Amino acid sequence: MQRRLVDLFGWMAILGIVALVASPILVLAWSLVDPSGEVWAELWRTRLPGMIVSTTILLVVVVGGSVILGTSLAWLVSAFQFPCRRLVGWLLVVPLAIPGYVGGFVWLDTLSGVVGARGVRSLWLCAVVLVLSLYPYVYLFARAAFADQGADSLAAARSLGVGAWGVFFRVSLPTAQPAIAAGAALVAMETLTDIGTVRLFNVSTLADGVMRVWFGSGNLGAATELASALTGAAILLIACERLLHRRGRSARGTSEGVMVPRSLSPVAVSGVLGTVVAVLVVAVGIPIARLVDWSVESIQAGQAVTVAGGVWHHVGNTLLLVVTSTGVAIFIGTVLALLVARKGGVARLAGRVSTIGYAMPGPVVAVGAVVMLAALDRRGVLPNGFFLVGSTIGLVYALLVRFLAVGYQGVEASLERISPSAVESARVLGAGSFRTALSVEIPAARFGILAATALLAVDISKELPITLLLRPFGVDTLSVWVWQSTSESLWAQAAVPALLMVFIGMIAVGLLLVALERGAELVS
Amino acid sequence: MLTSKRYFKVFGAAVATIGALSGLVACGGNSESSSDSEKSNGLVTVYTGRHYGIEPVFEKFTAETGIEVRFTTGGDPELRARLEAEGANTPADLVMTSDAANIALASAANLLSPVESEVLAEAIPEELRAQDNSWFALSGRLRVIMSSSERVANAPQTYAEVGDPQWKGKLCLRPSTHPYTQSLVAGLINNVGAVEARKIVDSWVANNPLYINSDTDILKALVAGDCDIALANSYYLGRLLSEDAAFPVTLTWPDQNGKGAHLNISAAGVTANAPNRANAVVLLEWLASKGQKLFSDTNNEFPADPRVEAAAVIAGFGSFIADTKSVRVLGELNTQAVELLSAARYE
Repeated sequence: MQRRLVDLFGWMAILGIVALVASPILVLAWSLVDPSGEVWAELWRTRLPGMIVSTTILLVVVVGGSVILGTSLAWLVSAFQFPCRRLVGWLLVVPLAIPGYVGGFVWLDTLSGVVGARGVRSLWLCAVVLVLSLYPYVYLFARAAFADQGADSLAAARSLGVGAWGVFFRVSLPTAQPAIAAGAALVAMETLTDIGTVRLFNVSTLADGVMRVWFGSGNLGAATELASALTGAAILLIACERLLHRRGRSARGTSEGVMVPRSLSPVAVSGVLGTVVAVLVVAVGIPIARLVDWSVESIQAGQAVTVAGGVWHHVGNTLLLVVTSTGVAIFIGTVLALLVARKGGVARLAGRVSTIGYAMPGPVVAVGAVVMLAALDRRGVLPNGFFLVGSTIGLVYALLVRFLAVGYQGVEASLERISPSAVESARVLGAGSFRTALSVEIPAARFGILAATALLAVDISKELPITLLLRPFGVDTLSVWVWQSTSESLWAQAAVPALLMVFIGMIAVGLLLVALERGAELVS
Repeated sequence: MLTSKRYFKVFGAAVATIGALSGLVACGGNSESSSDSEKSNGLVTVYTGRHYGIEPVFEKFTAETGIEVRFTTGGDPELRARLEAEGANTPADLVMTSDAANIALASAANLLSPVESEVLAEAIPEELRAQDNSWFALSGRLRVIMSSSERVANAPQTYAEVGDPQWKGKLCLRPSTHPYTQSLVAGLINNVGAVEARKIVDSWVANNPLYINSDTDILKALVAGDCDIALANSYYLGRLLSEDAAFPVTLTWPDQNGKGAHLNISAAGVTANAPNRANAVVLLEWLASKGQKLFSDTNNEFPADPRVEAAAVIAGFGSFIADTKSVRVLGELNTQAVELLSAARYE
C-alpha cells in the first residue's frame, strides 16, 4: 500500500515538473487562432527548402566536428600527464563562456581579414566557428565520464597488452558514449536554435526562419509552428542519442576507481602538448585577444562606462541570477532524473518533453513564458497587485523552462552509467527511495551533476533574449549590457562586459574541474 | 590585422586581467542602485525598442519635471508581445519603437490609445503621426545611397539606379530580416506600386549584393573596398563622421526628383492601459517639444518637428526632400514588403 502511494507520488512529481516547464510552449501552440496556411505555402515556395538544407548540413558538420574535437581533447587531458595539464584543461572550456552573439562577430571580423568580407559569409566557415565555440559541451561531459571511468578496467586492459589507442577505442570510448552523446545532443540543440552566429554569417537556418516569420509578418502563430517543427527535429535527434545511450549502458560494471593520467616519454609529451596548445591558440587565444584589444580600445575612448548602473551593478545582478537559476535548475533536473530512473519507459518519454524549451529559439521561449505568466497574473496569483511578469520569480522560471534540459540531461546520463545492481542491493538492504538516492545514486553521479551545474551557470550567465524581456525594472545583467552595444553594432563597447561574462563562466568551470581533479586524487 | 606576436601579448594580458578580477569578485557584493527622487511627481514607465543614448534624455526629463522614468529596453516585436500578453495589467505607460512599422503594428493591435494634445499637434507634422493620433514620430532618419568617396565619382541618384548593372558585385545591402530593409521596400511599394517595386528589388538582387547585417559595418565595408555603393541610414554616417571627420564615404539623397528619400522614424505612443496616463502624455509632449533636440541629437537623427534644428554633423549633409507621405502606411505594407523580398530571393 505504502509502496503504491510512493509510486503515485513519483508519477505526480514527474508530470508536475514536465507540465511546469512545457506549458509556456504549449500555451503558445494553443494560442494559434489564425490559420497560417498561407504563410506556409509562401515559405515552401521561397525560403523553406533552402533553410532545411542548410540547417541539416550545419547540424551534421557542427555535431560531428564537436564530437571529434571535444572527445579527443578530453582524452588527451584525462589520460596523459603533461606540463600545465590543469590550466590547459580549464582553458579549453573558455569558448563556451563567450556568447555566440559576441564570438560570432569576433570570428567574422577576424576571418574576413583572411578570406574577405564576401568569402567569410559562408555555411562552412559558420560551421567551423560553431564547432570552435560548442565543442566544450562534449569536452566537459567526456572529461567527467573519463574521470569516473573504472581505473581497474583500464589497468586490466593494459595488463592484457592493449596499447593506449586500444584502451581508448575498446574501453574508454564505449563507456563514455552516453556522456559524449549527451554533450552532442546539447551541441545539436544549440546549433538548431542559434540565431546570433548564423545571421552574422548569412546562413539562413530554420531558427532564423522562425524569427523572419515572426518579425517579418508579425505572425507569431506561424513562427511557433515553424519552431515546433524545429523542436520535432531536435526530439528526433535525442531519440537517436537514446539509441546510442542504450548500447553504451552498464559498460562500467562494478569496477572501482578513477582514471589517473599516465606519464609519457618526452617526445610523446611534446606531441600531446603541441596538439592541445594549437587548439587553445585558435579556439581561445584569438577570440580572447580580440576582446581584450577592443576592451582596451573602448576604455581608452571612455566608452566603457556609459552604461547606466555601472560595472558592479551588472556583475552583481549577473552573479545573483546565475546562482539562483542554476540552483533551481540543477535541483529540479536532478529530482526529475532520479524519478525517471526509477520509472523508466513512459517516464523517460515525459522527461524528453521537459527539454522542449532548450530546443526552441530563445525569443520564442521568452514570449511563451510571458504569455503564460501574464495569464496567471490576470488570475491574481500574487497578492497585493504584484505581477509575475517582470519579477525575479518570473525570470528564474523562464530560465528554468529554457535550461532544465541542461541539468536533466547531464544528470540522467550519469545515472544511467551506475550499475543497476548497486541500486538494487541498496534496495534489497531495505534502503528507501530517498536514501538510495542520497547514499548511492547522487554520490555515484556527482561528476555528472557537477558538469551539468557548471554548464548551467555558463549558459545562464550569457543568456540574452529571456533576460532582456523578463528582467525586473532597473535590473541589468552583463548580457543586457552586451546587447545594448551589439544591437547598435558598437562591437568594441561590448568587449568589457563580454570579458566579464567569460570570467564568471570560467569560475564555474574552474570549480568543476577542481572537483574532478580532487576525485582523481582521493582514489589514487 | 593583429600579428601573432601581438595576439600572444594581448592573450597574456587577458589571463592577467582575469586573475586580478577574480580577487575582486570574491569580495564584491552587489551594489543596489537606489533611485529615490526627493521631489517626486510620480512615475512614468516606458517600454523602448529605441535605446541608444536614451538615458541622458530621461534624466533631463526627470530633472525638469520631477517625474521619475522607469524603463526597460528590448526588441520592438518582443516588447509588443509582452505588452499584448500583459493586457490590463501592464505597467507600461509609453511605448517607443525604432521604426515606423513596429509602432503601427502596436497601434493595429489596439495596444495604443489616441492622445489629443495641442503641443503634439503643433510640433509633429500630420504626416508623421497616426491618423487617430495613437502614435507620434519623434525623430527621423533617411535610408540613403552611400558611396566610397575615393572610388565613386558618379553615385546613383535613385533607388532604381542602385540596380544598374555597373554596380554588379560592388553593392552592399542589409538583409531582409531587418525592419529598415522591409520599410524601405514598403515605401517603394507605396510610391511606385508592387510591380515596379519588385523590378527594382530584382535589379538589386541581380547585382549580387554583399549582405551585411549592420549599417555601421556596411559603411566600414565601403571604406575597406568590399563594395563601392550601399544603402544605409543617415545617422550611422553621422556617428562615424563625428568620430572621424574625414571618413571617406559620400551621402547621396535618392529620388530627389521623385518622391524623395525614404524616411523612417523613431516613434512613441501612450499605451491603451497606461496606469500613469497623465505622466505619459507629459513625457510624450516633452519629447516632442523641449526634449526634441536632445532626443534627436543623441542619435544623430533629424527632429520630427521641422522647426527644430538638426545636429551640426547631419545638417552638413545639405537640404533634401524626404518621403514623408509614406510614413503612415509603412506598417500596413510591411507584410507585402516581406513577401516581395522573399519572392525576389533577397537574402
